[in-house]
Amino acid sequence: MDTAFRKIDIDIYDEDVLQESELYEADPRDPAEVLEDAKQRAAHVRSLLAKNDIPGALTVILDNAPYGPNVDDAKIITLQTLLTILNTTKSADIPGVIKALSLDTQDTLMKYLYKGMAMPGWGDISGSVLLGWHEKLTEVAGVGCIVRTMTDRRIV
Amino acid sequence: MVEALGSLAMSNVLRPYLAAVRSTLTAALTLENFGSQVVERHNKPEVESASSKEVLLNPLTISRNENERVLIEPSVNSIRLSIKIKQADEIERILCNKFTRFMMQRAESFIVLRRKPVAGYDISFLITNTHTETMLKHKIVDFIIQFMEEVDKEISEMKLSLNARARIVAESYLTAVSNCLT
Repeated sequence: MDTAFRKIDIDIYDEDVLQESELYEADPRDPAEVLEDAKQRAAHVRSLLAKNDIPGALTVILDNAPYGPNVDDAKIITLQTLLTILNTTKSADIPGVIKALSLDTQDTLMKYLYKGMAMPGWGDISGSVLLGWHEKLTEVAGVGCIVRTMTDRRIV
Repeated sequence: MVEALGSLAMSNVLRPYLAAVRSTLTAALTLENFGSQVVERHNKPEVESASSKEVLLNPLTISRNENERVLIEPSVNSIRLSIKIKQADEIERILCNKFTRFMMQRAESFIVLRRKPVAGYDISFLITNTHTETMLKHKIVDFIIQFMEEVDKEISEMKLSLNARARIVAESYLTAVSNCLT
């Protein structure tokens, strides 16, 4: 006897079922626009890094970071740019840099740290660098920052 | 003395990793009693049943490298924490498998241990709101961190004693053989 029908999820046909898109406000921008923006920012960050302005570079790359579906290319460019910033910062400078960031930027930085740790071995991700940043960021921003990373549906 | 220095150096390398797990776990352990929204009068760990996605939070991964990582999946009334234990070679893989299997067969004595690991990990813990209500939260966190510290040490110790034993066995066996031959 065919029992495959028992596995059919009938709840998705319910009329007041919760959709993934209702959990957060979608990014109003077009994916192509977001990608263009990410490339411009990457260039801006390189010029800021040449001037050794690390808090400025972090703010540029983390403000209005791409989120949601369909913008995977922009996300990857942002992550790569962020990793170059993180890897070039001296570990003694990290607390000062983090204190210079705004609260929202700190939250976005935490999201990217977890994103980086979730894909070890990818690109130039170094576990110890990310863990060092994570530790310093938790000291400054507290556990609340991690809770906001867990609860924010706008996944970077 | 050399051994003490060795363990000190190792704990210094391990410390940022454990600190990250500790802070993430502390953040995730804010649980409350929450009945199922799908089945009336049921109360299940939402992270396991995954029946309503608004109560599941973003899973977080903490990793040192590809072979050592922790996955924390929080939800409103339960969290699941999975550990991938470092396994450098075949012997460590066997020892780790036997060790975690031994513990998971006795999962009820550990209360928060899950009987099966999540796919891709070696051992999993399931902490529900009942556990945080009946036990002290910081003690649960301490237990997990201590487990992670001990398990690496335990496996490398077992590997050492296994190698030593193998050497003695081979030595005594081959002496007997060489005595026969001469």
